[in-house]
Amino acid sequence: MMNQIDRRTFIRRTVQAAIAAAAGGLPALDLLSLPAQAAQAPPLAVRKGQDIPLLVRETISALGGIQNFVKPGEVVVVKPNIGWDRTVELAANTHPGVVKTLVQLCLEAGAKQVRIFDRTCNDERRCYTQSGIRSSMESIRSERVSLEYMDRRAYKELTIKGGQAFDRWEFYMPVIEADSLINVPIAKHHSISQLTLGMKNLMGVIGGNRGRLHHNIAESLSDIASVIHSDLTVVDATRILKANGPQGGRLQDVRVLDTLIASPDIVAADAYATTLFGLSPEQVPTVVAAARRGLGVMDLKQVRMV
Amino acid sequence: MKQSSWTYARRFSQSFCLAVFLWLFLQTEYRGIDQLPYPVSLLFRIDPLAALADFLAPGPFGWSLLWPALVVLLLTSLFGRFFCGWVCPLGATLDGLGKLVGRGRRAFSPGWRRVKYYLLIGLSAATLFGVQLLGLFDPLAIFLRSLTLAVYPAYNYGLNKVFDFFYANDLPLVSPVVKNSYPLFRDYLMAFHQPIFALGLFTFLIFLTIVLLERVEHRFWCKNLCPLGALLGLCSRYAILQRTPQRLCADCQACDSLCRAGAVRNAGLISSECLLCMDCTGYCPEERVSFGLRYAAAHDPGIDLQRRGVLTAVASGIMIAPAVRIGPVTYEQNPYLIRPPGAVAEEEFLQRCVRCAECMKVCIGRTLQPALLEAGPVGLWTPLVVPRIGYCEYNCTLCGQVCPTGALAPLKLAEKQKNVIGLAVIKKDRCLPFAKGVECLVCEEHCPTGEKAIVMEEQDVLVDGQLRRLKLPRVVDKLCIGCGICETKCPVEGASAVRVINQGESRRKRTELLAGPYG
Repeated sequence: MMNQIDRRTFIRRTVQAAIAAAAGGLPALDLLSLPAQAAQAPPLAVRKGQDIPLLVRETISALGGIQNFVKPGEVVVVKPNIGWDRTVELAANTHPGVVKTLVQLCLEAGAKQVRIFDRTCNDERRCYTQSGIRSSMESIRSERVSLEYMDRRAYKELTIKGGQAFDRWEFYMPVIEADSLINVPIAKHHSISQLTLGMKNLMGVIGGNRGRLHHNIAESLSDIASVIHSDLTVVDATRILKANGPQGGRLQDVRVLDTLIASPDIVAADAYATTLFGLSPEQVPTVVAAARRGLGVMDLKQVRMV
Repeated sequence: MKQSSWTYARRFSQSFCLAVFLWLFLQTEYRGIDQLPYPVSLLFRIDPLAALADFLAPGPFGWSLLWPALVVLLLTSLFGRFFCGWVCPLGATLDGLGKLVGRGRRAFSPGWRRVKYYLLIGLSAATLFGVQLLGLFDPLAIFLRSLTLAVYPAYNYGLNKVFDFFYANDLPLVSPVVKNSYPLFRDYLMAFHQPIFALGLFTFLIFLTIVLLERVEHRFWCKNLCPLGALLGLCSRYAILQRTPQRLCADCQACDSLCRAGAVRNAGLISSECLLCMDCTGYCPEERVSFGLRYAAAHDPGIDLQRRGVLTAVASGIMIAPAVRIGPVTYEQNPYLIRPPGAVAEEEFLQRCVRCAECMKVCIGRTLQPALLEAGPVGLWTPLVVPRIGYCEYNCTLCGQVCPTGALAPLKLAEKQKNVIGLAVIKKDRCLPFAKGVECLVCEEHCPTGEKAIVMEEQDVLVDGQLRRLKLPRVVDKLCIGCGICETKCPVEGASAVRVINQGESRRKRTELLAGPYG
């Protein structure tokens, strides 16, 4: 026998269900997912060339120019990978020439200050010097450029809303507080995350015991990327590391591709970079997890190539 | 008390030398150049005790490093113990701190003067028989060790706390000043990483004791205990820089109570005790005292060492060797006894190392730590690689550059990268993929050798009754150099799941297996 319900109960339950549905739909308005909404058909620029300054300028102008990402008077963080005590040709760190031109573009756009830093794996003094980043930053000769060592006092534990691997982590506040973040990873092989690209590069601006992220690398990196929004991701594939990553050390593992990938969508940039290694985005769990969580677009057919 | 220009000259020299040594100490740090631009361990290259240790150690004497120490000995034989009065940074520290802690005026029994000679004789005898402990009592080693292991870490800690406070709290007027001075301190006057040392307090207490002995008698350490003072004293018996008058004057006797070294006696001047402070040129009420070049007096009373005392010292020194050797060989007992790259074979290492702590000061990764008993009963303050605290940086050769006695050979970078100091061993009961069935590769990721000494191999592992495909780390023995970065970075909390043991070191004599069973 069916349970009879009267009209009043029916109406009350209907209204309740509607409110619940509306409430359930609310996360769609969550600030965190806004970039995902905005990232319908994100632009993606891929350029090739051996003249690095020219290559960087061409790639960025394909995206409409640096002024789309940096406004006059802003504080910009340019985050290369300077993680290892390795020289340029070994392809463990972002090419200093790429970083230099990006910094110069920011200056040309009128940035008030451009800060460059990375939480390195080897001793930071050695990494900054050996990578060539220090000398290339000094060669710009601008007081608005500041290559800094991480300040141990500037980390702060933040809540990760909707975190899948962690609900809290220590973040480097100068990145959070910056007006704009330009994420400049180098494309490299990595044994657990398969590749280290833009998402992995964000590990350089968090604190804590970073080794713990590897237990669940895909969700962990998505957690981090959900807090730190990269306004522009420029994947340095001028030379890539095909094996023995992420720090390499042998020239035979390096392939020179003279390629640069740039997009305001970190997932799209990473997704395209996987193809340089003969992979597809679906094969790299970090990219898949990030796309599933709405951090960007991984389907390269939905990307607007510019 | 009236002071002559000699006193001012001496004080200037002491302050200048102390400043130079402190400046060199601050330069004993990586500042962006792989090869240190200054002779930062100069203090030990002019140290005759370090030269003595090197001379008595097996192998040829390190002329190229230690010739300045021989120059000091030569100058001492001409001019007396000028080093003690004008150069020694520990002496300068005692002179400087004496006012602060209060100065004893007790006239100690002259018999105490002999102790330093007995100490020198005993230590030399022990060294001759293979147990070198000179460094434990070397004043220069005591000075630099205390500075490196205790004073400088505490100084950095204190300053960091001050800067942190003003970083966190914005006080008007004060905060901007403090914040603006931070870059200067950070870049030039402080350590890049807060130094961390296990024996800091212990080392400091010894230093403090020596300072507090000033309350008993001015320069108690230098007069009674310092074996370097004894060695320089022995050399200065026939010094040609001589004081006039040579005896206490019958009408005055002021020197008897005022001479800080107690060197002026009725019988004559004891050249080997005179520290050449030259205060007497100032305080002499008759202004009779002067120093000039002259042959040594025939009636220098010297210090009567007494045959019985010397024999006891020699016998005690000789006894140290068997007393130490009847114990088990620590090096074989303790697999975690790992020495810095370039270390010579353990026995020779212990004979060469003067415990000066220069290598620990310069170590970029903070892995070098002073041993308490880890290296055996005579290994106190020798450098150990402790990878859970820090690792040996692959591209760094600094420790070999600063070692003044060749205990650590100065290796070229390519040699250093092939120098095996140990072997990483994975503890499968703690390693995450093995023990917990979760993915982890931090050790492999950080392994610095071009062809990685830690490789990941896929394997099915039984986790919770189900087979799971996991990547498991394996150490390739012939590629591992024992740098320890895997142990430092292992994310397992507490004890690392990968530990470096001293197996397969380059410095150990052994038969090479052409193709080992472990690859």
